[in-house]
Amino acid sequence: MSKKLTSTCFVRFDRDLCAGHGSCLRACPTKAIRIKKKKAARIVEQCIGCGECIRICRERAVSAATEGPDFLDKDQVAIALVSPVLYAQFPGVMPKDVLLGLHHMGFQHTIDMSYFLEMFQCATEEFIRRNQTSNQAPWPLISPICPIVVRLIAFKFPSLLPNVLPVLRPVALMAREVKRRLIPEYLDKGQEVVLYYINPCPTKKDPSCLPARQRSAPAEVALGINDIYPQLIKHVEQIKAADAIPFYQTRFEYETCATGNASMWGMSGGEIADMDIDRSLAVSGMEETIHYLEKIEMGLFQDIEYIEFRTCREGCLGGVLNAIDKYLAKSAVQKMIKRFGLGRRLHRENILRMYEKGEFQSEKDPSKLTSLFGARKEALTIDAMQEIEKVMQLIKGTDCTACGAPDCRTFAEDVVRGQATLKDCLFTGGQGKTKR
Amino acid sequence: MLAISLDLTENANLPLIKVRLARLTAQSGNFKPMPQLKKSFHIKGRDFIRAGEASINIQNLLKSMDFDPRLIRRVAICGYESEMNVVMHGGDGTLSIEVDNDKLILEITDDGPGIEDIELAMQAGYSTANDNHREMGFGAGMGLPNMKKNSDQIQVESPPNDGTVVRMTFFIPDKGKSD
Repeated sequence: MSKKLTSTCFVRFDRDLCAGHGSCLRACPTKAIRIKKKKAARIVEQCIGCGECIRICRERAVSAATEGPDFLDKDQVAIALVSPVLYAQFPGVMPKDVLLGLHHMGFQHTIDMSYFLEMFQCATEEFIRRNQTSNQAPWPLISPICPIVVRLIAFKFPSLLPNVLPVLRPVALMAREVKRRLIPEYLDKGQEVVLYYINPCPTKKDPSCLPARQRSAPAEVALGINDIYPQLIKHVEQIKAADAIPFYQTRFEYETCATGNASMWGMSGGEIADMDIDRSLAVSGMEETIHYLEKIEMGLFQDIEYIEFRTCREGCLGGVLNAIDKYLAKSAVQKMIKRFGLGRRLHRENILRMYEKGEFQSEKDPSKLTSLFGARKEALTIDAMQEIEKVMQLIKGTDCTACGAPDCRTFAEDVVRGQATLKDCLFTGGQGKTKR
Repeated sequence: MLAISLDLTENANLPLIKVRLARLTAQSGNFKPMPQLKKSFHIKGRDFIRAGEASINIQNLLKSMDFDPRLIRRVAICGYESEMNVVMHGGDGTLSIEVDNDKLILEITDDGPGIEDIELAMQAGYSTANDNHREMGFGAGMGLPNMKKNSDQIQVESPPNDGTVVRMTFFIPDKGKSD
């Protein structure tokens, strides 16, 4: 990697493209970004991978830390783990044809995540039903599906960690199934297997999910939908144009997908729409999510059983790595549901049997999340707080961001912590950091 | 106004500012060294849209000081309940937080009509909310009981027609001893 890139495990900053106008400063919900020497530089520990900086940057200086498009190696067995958001990127195309397009691109297997989302849905209903009598977890339960929400809670709202539904996420269920059933035979033959997560957000490279790679385990790679879209659309167009679609033999039910409800998962509210829960809510958007979490922390919404949070507007369809606009994608999903209808593929009894065996229990320890994404900064003492108040009085407080910090309060904190100096502030007669 | 000139040619580091601030303090007499930190937030009566903002500010302040999340949550619940009481009944008010080494004190004052029967108001389910409040989902009569439940000490003063003051104390558990 070249020197001009500053990167975290989620996003990269290109210093050559950065114009230093600092719109990413204000967009960052964890205030992780500072401008140093007129170019964006960041405090790595606090990045939760939401991608808001990618979304807002006019210069396209910020990109996701996913892989580039020239990735498929002929010698490897490539398995695509497909987020249902991918289907919505191709209006008028059936999900199974999109998966076929991936086969034509060179993926040996395609795994449809909506199959596992359905499994998750069933387990969630069961957990909520039992929680009504056992009170194992406090109300309202918070959906664990959006990884950014979970990290945001660990970072900003640690008192709400017990509210996060302790059911394994669909991605984890999917990876487990693939590792159990599909991969061993390739490994026995001595072939190398690579798992590609095709998804709409830069978050899947979760350091808490990916332990150090063992020799027997497959490599795991995160791909943005926009990384593969240009190639994939060519294959999908061909399939659409063909009179007779070549039939592809799948071995497992989850290798293809034919129903309309698969694509629904990408919409805000798609997770709860088909769930058998009396009182649920769907919230989308970063600001709205933070606002609702603040309210839950103040004791509101205890009469609600389940809240689906997505930090992207309109849900995962609004993810930053998508190929088409979220409203077009939403319309495509709605048409698909109208045409093909909804319908579950899985038998409830089978899922309940798995539930009894503890197959859905999340083993992730909340305290581990706190240590990964919780506040890393040293806590402020009463003295330091008083210093901050004094600095605030000196610097007028117009939140102009010229100093390179997202707002005056954060700047004052940086000054007291010794990470910035007062001369960075224009209002104390200084030069600023963003002035060109 | 602050009439000071900061010497910014050299690296304006913290000790320097401290010296200047100390001088400033001595000159103006505005800053008195206080053992604790106090922050106040204004609350506007009948402003249901912005209700809760003062508590959120207090939440954020406490979070930057890294208190136990459970303690912050208790303060947040009390802050919100008291804020809602003011917004619903009390006219204008102030919510303030005092941070000391061993305790937090949350205080709410308002210029409203006061509480007629404090003992009754402390009972769960007793409410003086009107239909309008209930339609918005408030007024379940859990305000003061919830504040009592979540704080370590509570003190309510409400002389007739002279506003209300509620003072809640939260003791900070010794870090070594907790859990």
